[in-house]
Amino acid sequence: MLHGVRAIYLRETLILRHKLLKTLLASAISPALFLLAFGYGVGRGVQVAGSDYLVFLLPGLLTMSSMNQAYGIATEINISRFYFKVFEEYLLAPIQRWEIIVGETCYGITKGLIPVLIIGIYSLLTGVSLRFGPLFLLALVLHLATFALLGFVAAMIVKSHADQATINAFLITPMMFLSGTFFPVEQMPLFIRAVASIFPLTYSTALIRATLTPGAEVNFVLYGVLIGILAVLFLIARRIVAKVEI
Amino acid sequence: MSCAEALSCSGRPCEIEVAGLSRRFDKTVAVDSITFKVGRGELFAFLGPNGAGKTTTINMLTGLLKPDAGEVRYHGELFDPRRLNVKRLIGVVPQHNNLDRELTAAENLQIHGRLFGMRGQELQQRIDHCLEFADLGDKRATPAGKLSGGMQRKLVIARALLHRPEILFLDEPTVGLDPHSRRKMWAFLRRINQEQDCTVFLTTHYIEEAEALADRVLIIDQAKIIAGGTPEQLKKSAGNYVLDIYNEENIQNEFFTDRPAALQRLEQLDTSVRIRETTLEDVFLQLTGKRIEA
Repeated sequence: MLHGVRAIYLRETLILRHKLLKTLLASAISPALFLLAFGYGVGRGVQVAGSDYLVFLLPGLLTMSSMNQAYGIATEINISRFYFKVFEEYLLAPIQRWEIIVGETCYGITKGLIPVLIIGIYSLLTGVSLRFGPLFLLALVLHLATFALLGFVAAMIVKSHADQATINAFLITPMMFLSGTFFPVEQMPLFIRAVASIFPLTYSTALIRATLTPGAEVNFVLYGVLIGILAVLFLIARRIVAKVEI
Repeated sequence: MSCAEALSCSGRPCEIEVAGLSRRFDKTVAVDSITFKVGRGELFAFLGPNGAGKTTTINMLTGLLKPDAGEVRYHGELFDPRRLNVKRLIGVVPQHNNLDRELTAAENLQIHGRLFGMRGQELQQRIDHCLEFADLGDKRATPAGKLSGGMQRKLVIARALLHRPEILFLDEPTVGLDPHSRRKMWAFLRRINQEQDCTVFLTTHYIEEAEALADRVLIIDQAKIIAGGTPEQLKKSAGNYVLDIYNEENIQNEFFTDRPAALQRLEQLDTSVRIRETTLEDVFLQLTGKRIEA
């Protein structure tokens, strides 16, 4: 039982182990640049909700960077599906198709933890105190699972690598900048707020920021929102993967 | 030429029965109502030019593609890829080497074994056995991407054998290999058929491969099966001997059941003529009017 989930997770993590240094570096550089540009450049001396801008920015960077890694499984699935054709191995194996979804999602969650670790180190270096408690962990797992599943769905829908780039350009990049990572969504124009409200990152950023920031009030409804999004994405993934052919 | 031979299992218990299998992609008919049987332990070749429908057939037989019509039976039971146990009967070697290049040879086998529910000592022993069988025992810690093309091909085959399938499907197993490696691969495939107690179903567009390896050959062209039988039966049905008659513009072929008849005809001709034994290429040419590897 569940040997498919374990096998797929093992495969992905073995590959990750072979390229761990590259993944660590990639996960470290991008948030460091954002931290320098926004935290120490644009945001120097700026106060958001009565706190230093860095206290606002770091949880946003953590959410955005971990999303990038979790969603990034889309590209890996794409390559293994269209280029190396490794995905066929899953389709030929005596495993249920939902096990492929769960195995890949677990891998996305694992991969998304790497930038969390790195930004945890950045918070120590910058002297920003964050609250890494169980509420944060629950929010983080829901957030990573959501974006890993979104990556899986995207990888199953596209017909080529070029399609994947299109999804990134029209969905992931706007989501990164409009979901409250760098600036509070409430300060955006009404139209942008409306757009942000359809992005799952808006909800996970708000929840993760609240669970990480000492003294902030956690809106538990956001857990429900993320669970709802997760459930819908899982059902979509299941429907797609049931029909998938090579 | 009759296709009746396609409907026999060569006197063996029937392993695979295919009836009226069809598949189209948009307006293109890839496989058009094909029917055949494969006997237990046969080394069975599906011969045809590129684009004839060989890979689509294998993909339907292994559950990677759904047929538009027709059915597949293994041991008489209707094949439904959603029933997982039947997948354990099957090992598949695709046309491309779909290995994880970053992972070592042993890791590639390990993942396959885990996907098939194998673990622990049983899995380790089986990995060792399959790597040794494929002459890759000393390459177990080498990343798959650093193996030669022939070794990668053997590793893909070793991986397909890991879970002890009864039937091994190989899609163009020697494509991309040099002639020397190809002949070594043929010997390897014979060993699999004999020593691993495995029915081997291979597709190929190499005439000499089908001739050298197969107990029985099915010829497919433009999505339809056009002939079937042992290589000897197929050649005999065309005529065991052929005259290549060289004209100014082309070569004409005439077929004869025996050598004296061919020699008699040869003496009547005053042009350049060569007498030789019929090959499967001649059979294909006679049936379709074109060469298979063109």
